Amino acid sequence: MKRKVKDNHEIKHKQSSFPRTGKVYLVLCLLFVITGLTAYTGTEPVVPMGDYVFNYPANFGNRINVPADNPTTQQGVYLGRLLFYEPKLSATNAISCGNCHQQSKAFTDGRALSIGVNNGLATRNSMSLANLLWARKFFWDGRAASLEDQVLFPLTNPHEMGQSIQVSVQKLSNTKLYPGLFKIVYGDSTITGDRIAKAIAQFERTLISANSRYDQYLRNAYKPTGDELKGMELFNRGPDPEKGIRGANCTHCHGGPKTYLELFHNNGLDSISKDEGMAAFTGLVTDRGRFKVPTLRNIALTAPYMHDGRFKTLDEVVDHYSEHIKQSVSLSAFLQGESNEVGGHSLKLLPKEKKQLIAFLNMLTDSTFITDKRFGNPHQSTKN
Amino acid sequence: MKKYTIVLLLLIAGLTTNAQTATKEAVIKVTGEVTTPLTIGNAEFQQYKQTTVTRKDRDGKDHTYSGVLVSDILGKAGVTLGPELRGENLAKYLLVEASDGYQVLFALAELDKGFTDRTIILADKVDGQPLVPADGPFRIIVQDEKKPARCIKQVTAMKVMFAK
Repeated sequence: MKRKVKDNHEIKHKQSSFPRTGKVYLVLCLLFVITGLTAYTGTEPVVPMGDYVFNYPANFGNRINVPADNPTTQQGVYLGRLLFYEPKLSATNAISCGNCHQQSKAFTDGRALSIGVNNGLATRNSMSLANLLWARKFFWDGRAASLEDQVLFPLTNPHEMGQSIQVSVQKLSNTKLYPGLFKIVYGDSTITGDRIAKAIAQFERTLISANSRYDQYLRNAYKPTGDELKGMELFNRGPDPEKGIRGANCTHCHGGPKTYLELFHNNGLDSISKDEGMAAFTGLVTDRGRFKVPTLRNIALTAPYMHDGRFKTLDEVVDHYSEHIKQSVSLSAFLQGESNEVGGHSLKLLPKEKKQLIAFLNMLTDSTFITDKRFGNPHQSTKN
Repeated sequence: MKKYTIVLLLLIAGLTTNAQTATKEAVIKVTGEVTTPLTIGNAEFQQYKQTTVTRKDRDGKDHTYSGVLVSDILGKAGVTLGPELRGENLAKYLLVEASDGYQVLFALAELDKGFTDRTIILADKVDGQPLVPADGPFRIIVQDEKKPARCIKQVTAMKVMFAK
């Protein structure tokens, strides 16, 4: 089922150039036929309608998180995508969600800290938006319980998009495009902050990354190289030097086919974390410097790393876990005394093992995810 | 003089705020299919009958954990244990959550002495000493369970629910 909207968007209008030859008549005839055909099939863009069906591998599990008051619909996702890439939602009309969450970088922006309106800096690193359908706590400190709650923060934060919801509502209400779309999605053309957030959240839930070489390997469609296999083994195993087992123990936090478990840890970046992390709202000493364990999906594309973007490369990240864990009262238990050396205090991976581990991490890059047209900017060919 | 007073007041305010964010007591919330939701801090914890469980830790040695039977806590919250643990109540489970977001669950029948002699406690001490901060202040200890994965550390919440 599909419905048409009157405004032109997502439709490319290319200007034809007319060759000045004797065949102008023929060209005109052709143009006439094309125009006729276009009119017949309809130039007005169509909004897909109906329930949105999520497609993902069975091994991802069905513990998905869709609030009862915001079921995912095709029309909601359509609107959400337009809003995700809508610069009118920023104070300067220049920044959309898509600025700090670029598809080519697995929805990150390549910066340690993102630049918002008036060149303000966000306080933490822009997080990758992949497989959020399964997430239940959002932000680096997990303070939001739904994507709907999360979305409103960057929209209004003075260092990010910097515009009050009231102004955003006003701006969208003054367009030709949006009131009609809100009517299709919500039954009437009233635009509210709640409805903006719900639509964006619906779009974000569709950003599913499930076709990396690792996924292909799990469904027997890819044969890993020797280094990838060895890296995978290190990734999956905890070290046990007395039994001669070498490992990097990554799956403790990044386990499962999604390489994401919803966990929050102090991973030993600092002996006294400048950023309080979860402790800012729990007030617990043991939550200081404790942050969300991010997905490793597309990790090779999402540099720089950590909540403050302090590591520029995966080599630096692996070196950190191998040799530079800092002790503190809030350091997570699983990072204490884990070593490949008997009586060792840190992992102590060999240079060759680090390379193998990174070879495996590169298997998590999903090139179809970063080129999927359904996730791209729909405004690039839009006049609204 | 007035200037110094303001500085002093600001200092005190600063210290108080700092104390609030840094030294809040860790507690466990008991919620869900209960008649009385509970918030358990150290003071409440000490009011329960104390017991001990011995189990091997990762070092392969036996350690003595002391604390409180999980069933005693659930009993106080009015959870359907004992004679009430029958019929549809057997489709209830306890979901335990830690401050790092880790979750494990137990069927209610696993916690009831009418069903099993295996003891599951909420511990606050190991070998007579308080648990280290990365493990405590409260940790579930499951007697005789081969893997330690359900001996969940830094417990913050216990929720009783019906399987849907």
